[in-house]
Amino acid sequence: MTKKSKTIRAILFIILVIFAIYTIMPIFWVFVTSLKTPEEARSFPPTLIPKEVTFENYKLLFQDEQMMRSFLNSIIVAVPATLLCVIISALAAFAFSRYEFRGKKQLLAAVMGIFMIPITMNTIPLYLIFQRMGLLDTYTGVILAYQVLIIPLNIFILKNHFDTIPVSLEEAAALDGATTMQRFTKVIIPLSWPGLSISFIFTFRFAWNEFVLPMILISSPSKTVFQVAMYRFLGLYSIDWGLLSAAIVIGMIPILIIIIFFQRQLLQGIQAGSIKG
Amino acid sequence: MQKKKWMPFLLLLPALAIMFFLMIFPVFWNITISLHDVKTTNINDVWPFVGFQNWVKIFQDEYFLQSLKVTLFFVLGSVFFQIFIGFLIARILIERVWGTKFFRVLFMLPWLLSATIVGFSWQWMYNDYFGLINGMLMRLGMQPVNWISDPNMALISLLIANIWFGTPFSILFQESSLLTIDRSLYEAAKIDGANSFQSFFNITLPLLAPFLGINLILTSMWSVNLFDLQLVLTGGGPLMSTTTSSLYMYKQGFEQGNLSIGATIGLVLLIINLTVSFLYLRALRGEEA
Amino acid sequence: MSKKVVVSFVLFVMIFSSMALAVEEVVLTGTFAAPADRWNDLIPAALEELNRRHPDMEITMEYEVLPYDDTRSKLITLTAGQTPRDLVSIDQIWLGEFAQSGFLKDITQEVNSWGRIDEFYPANIEGSKFDDKFYSIWAWTDVRVTWYWKDLLEEAGVDPEMLKTWDGYIEAYKKLAPVTMKKGILPMHLVGASHSPDMWFPYLWMNGGEILEEKDGKYYPAFYSEAGIKALTFLRDQVEAGIRPQVQHQWGQEFADKRFAVMIEGSWLLGNFPEGFDFDQIGMIPGFPVPEEGMKSSTMMGGWLLAVPSTSEHPELAWELMTIMLDPEILTPVLAKYVYLPTQKTIAEQDPYKSILESEIPFFEDLMKAVEIGEGRPNIPEYPQIAEALRIAIEEVYYGVKTPEDALRDASKKVEEILIF
Repeated sequence: MTKKSKTIRAILFIILVIFAIYTIMPIFWVFVTSLKTPEEARSFPPTLIPKEVTFENYKLLFQDEQMMRSFLNSIIVAVPATLLCVIISALAAFAFSRYEFRGKKQLLAAVMGIFMIPITMNTIPLYLIFQRMGLLDTYTGVILAYQVLIIPLNIFILKNHFDTIPVSLEEAAALDGATTMQRFTKVIIPLSWPGLSISFIFTFRFAWNEFVLPMILISSPSKTVFQVAMYRFLGLYSIDWGLLSAAIVIGMIPILIIIIFFQRQLLQGIQAGSIKG
Repeated sequence: MQKKKWMPFLLLLPALAIMFFLMIFPVFWNITISLHDVKTTNINDVWPFVGFQNWVKIFQDEYFLQSLKVTLFFVLGSVFFQIFIGFLIARILIERVWGTKFFRVLFMLPWLLSATIVGFSWQWMYNDYFGLINGMLMRLGMQPVNWISDPNMALISLLIANIWFGTPFSILFQESSLLTIDRSLYEAAKIDGANSFQSFFNITLPLLAPFLGINLILTSMWSVNLFDLQLVLTGGGPLMSTTTSSLYMYKQGFEQGNLSIGATIGLVLLIINLTVSFLYLRALRGEEA
Repeated sequence: MSKKVVVSFVLFVMIFSSMALAVEEVVLTGTFAAPADRWNDLIPAALEELNRRHPDMEITMEYEVLPYDDTRSKLITLTAGQTPRDLVSIDQIWLGEFAQSGFLKDITQEVNSWGRIDEFYPANIEGSKFDDKFYSIWAWTDVRVTWYWKDLLEEAGVDPEMLKTWDGYIEAYKKLAPVTMKKGILPMHLVGASHSPDMWFPYLWMNGGEILEEKDGKYYPAFYSEAGIKALTFLRDQVEAGIRPQVQHQWGQEFADKRFAVMIEGSWLLGNFPEGFDFDQIGMIPGFPVPEEGMKSSTMMGGWLLAVPSTSEHPELAWELMTIMLDPEILTPVLAKYVYLPTQKTIAEQDPYKSILESEIPFFEDLMKAVEIGEGRPNIPEYPQIAEALRIAIEEVYYGVKTPEDALRDASKKVEEILIF
C-alpha cells in the first residue's frame, strides 16, 4: 500500500467529514424534530437545537397500541421473508454457480430482467393472485409477496460469492461421500457468511421498508405493518411533524441495529468481493 | 464429481417458481390490460379491445412526453452523481484514514430508509418556512430559496434528495470492486514511472469496467422505477416539473383511474430498463473483447 | 352418579351451548380515510347502539384507516378484486366513478324507507346521488371561508370589509405586505398545491359560471367562458400583485401558527388552534371575495360520504350502522370535536344539537351561512381527470406560462376529449 503523506490523509478525512455532514443532516433534522414540542416543530425561524427537549412524541407512540402492534407485525413479516428469500436465492445461486446446463445464460439474464419490472404495475394483479389463493390479509401472503422484491439481486450477489469458493473444497467433501445438499450446507454456507450477511441486510432492508405491498394486501388493523401505520399521522388535514419524525426514527431502529451488529460481516463481505460483476 | 442431471433444476425450483408465478402473471395481466380500454369504471365489465391504441395515445400525450424528458434528466443526473460520488468516497475509504469504520456505517444510513421516509425528511428540510435549509440560509442573512415551490428549482432539489438516497449503494459496490484490484499492479506501474492519472486510466478504469456496468444498470433501473420519493416530496409539481414517467404511471393508474394507460406506461418503462441493460452489457462485452 | 345429576348436567350443557350458538358473531369490515381519530370516536359509539338493537348478535368492526391517496388506491383494488367490504368513506368527487363501476350498492330503497333524507340540505342530498339514485349519504361537510388575524389588519390599517371585494382584496394585500413582512409573516395565502381547482371554483360560480353543462344526457366543459376567464384572471392578478402560490400545504396550520395574516381555508382550520385559544383574535368572512360589492359570494363544500359496497356480506347491518352513525345523537359530538359541519338541518338548526355545535364551534352560525352559498363539485366518473386538467391550467397561469384565456381553452379541449367517447 502506497503511503500517503499526512496532509493528504488529512484532506481526505475532511472530505469524508463534509460528506458525512451531508449524509447525516436530514436524519439529524428528523431526529431533532422528533424531540421538539409541536409548537417549536413549526416555529419560525426553525431551530437546529431544540430549545425545549421533550420525549412526548415518543411517549405517545410507545403508548399507542396500534403503532406498537404494527412494529411487531413488521418484524413478524420481515424476518421470515428475509430468511426464506436468502435460502431460496442461495439454492438458486448454488445451481448457477456449480452447474452447467442448457439455457443457463439465458435464464440468468431472464432473472435479472424480471428484477426490472416497476412494482406499481403489479399491485392490482398481485392482489388478484393472492385473492384467488386465499392469502389476502395474511402474514403468509405478505411474506410470499416480499420474495419478488429481491430474489434476483440475491441470486446475483450469492452466485458471485460462491464463485470465489474453490471447487476443490467440494470435491474433497464429495470424495468423503458427501451428498449435494451436504456439500451445500457443510462447505459452501459456512464459507459464505460475508456474502450471506450482505444478502440478509439487503433483503431485510427491502422487506422492512416496503409500503405498497402490505398496504394493498392487508386490511385488518391488527396486521398492518409499521410503514403503513405510520401514515395515520398524515391525515388529510394535518401534518404532525413531531409525531411523524418520532415514528420515522423508531422505524429506522431495526435496520440500524442490524447494520451495527453485522458490520464486521459486511466488511468481510465487501473485502471478499461478493458484490462484483 | 457425481452430478445428477436434474439437480440444478431442483435447486432452482423454489426461486423460479415464485418469481415466474408472482412476476410473470402480473406482466401478462398488464400486457392484456394495455391492449384494452380499462378504467376503474369498467374493470369488472367487459373490456373493450383497442389494440395498440393506448400505446399510440401515450406518445401523443404532451405530458407523457414531458415526463420522459424529466425522467431522462433525473436518471442521468442520479446515475452520474451517485456513481461518481460513490467512487470518490469508496476510493477514500480504501485509504483507511482515521474513523473509516464509523464513516462506512454512517454513509450507509440514507439507503436503509424507505423512499417515502426520504421524501418526508427532505420535504421537511426543503420547507419554505419551517425547513432546515432555509432556516440556516436566513440565519446567515441570505435569502431563502424556493426549493420545491419553484418549477425551475424543484427537479434539482429532487435530484439532490435522490443522490443522497442512492449513493450509499454505489459506495458499497465501488469499494468492493476496488478491493478486488491487486495493489501490486499500482506499485509496478509506479516503478515504471506512471503518475496517478495514468494509473487510474490504464489500470483502475479497465479493471473496474464490469463492476461499473452492473452498478450503472442497477442504479439506472432503480432511478427509472422510483416514484414514491417524488410523490411525497413534490407530488410531481410544480407545473409537472418533477413528474417522471414512473410517477405519471402511478397518477394515471391510481389517481385518474386510467388503468390501461398506467399499464402501458409501465411496460414502456420495463422496455426502457431492459434496453438500457442490454446496451450496457453489450458495451462491456465489446470492451472486454 | 345419580340419574338426576346426569340429566341436569346434560340439559345445562345443551342450554349453554345453544345460547352460545344463538349469539351470532358478526365482524364488519371497513376502509376509511385518515385521520383516524374521528372514526375511532364515531364507530365504537355507533356499534354500541347497533349491538343494543341486536341482542342476539355480537357485532364488531375491523376497519383500516389510510391516507387520502391510498384510500382511493385501496378502493380501486377492492373493486378489481370484488373483495367484501361492509362500509367505506368516499370523497364526494369519487362517487360517480365508484358508483358506475358497480362498487357501491344502490341504497335508494333503503334511503326512502329510512325517511330521514329530507332532513338533509338539498345540495347534500343531490351530492349523495349518482344518476338519480342514492349510492351514499353525505355525512359531514366543510366550507372554505376567508380567515384573518384582527391585530395584523388593524396595524396595517386594513378594514376587514376590504377583503370582500376583488379590488379591496388586492388593496388590502398591498397595505398588509410592508407591515407583516417585517414580522416575518406573509400577508396573504394562495393555494398552489394540487387542490388548487377547489379554490378557484367559487370564483367561477360567483360569476355565474359552471364547470360542466349537461346536454342530452352528456356532459360538456363549460368553464371556458367569460366567467371562467374572469375568475382565472383574478388569480393571475393576485400573483402579479405579489401574492405567491404556496405549493406545500399545511391545511390551516400555517394560519393557526400566524404564518399568514389572511388565508382562505376550510372550516376545519379551527381544529388547528391550541387549547384555550381566544378566538376573538381572528375574524372570518363567510365566503370568497366577489368582483363587485354586493354580489353574492360562493364557496366550495367538501366533506366525506358514507357508502355500502355492493360486495358487502352484511348489507342490512352495514346500512343500519350507517344510519346510526348519521343519527344526530351519535354524530353531533364528533362534529363538534373535530369541527365538521352538519349536512342535516336537524343538527344545524334544532336544539340540543345546534347548541352543542354553537358552543363548541366558534363562528358556527356564520359558517352555516357559508354552507348556504356553498356548492359541491360534479361527481361524474371523469371528475379526477377534469380536476387534473384544471390544475394544470391554474399552474400555467400562476407561473406566467399562458394567459388565463389560453390556459382555459386548452384545458377545455382536453376535457372535451375526456368526456366524449
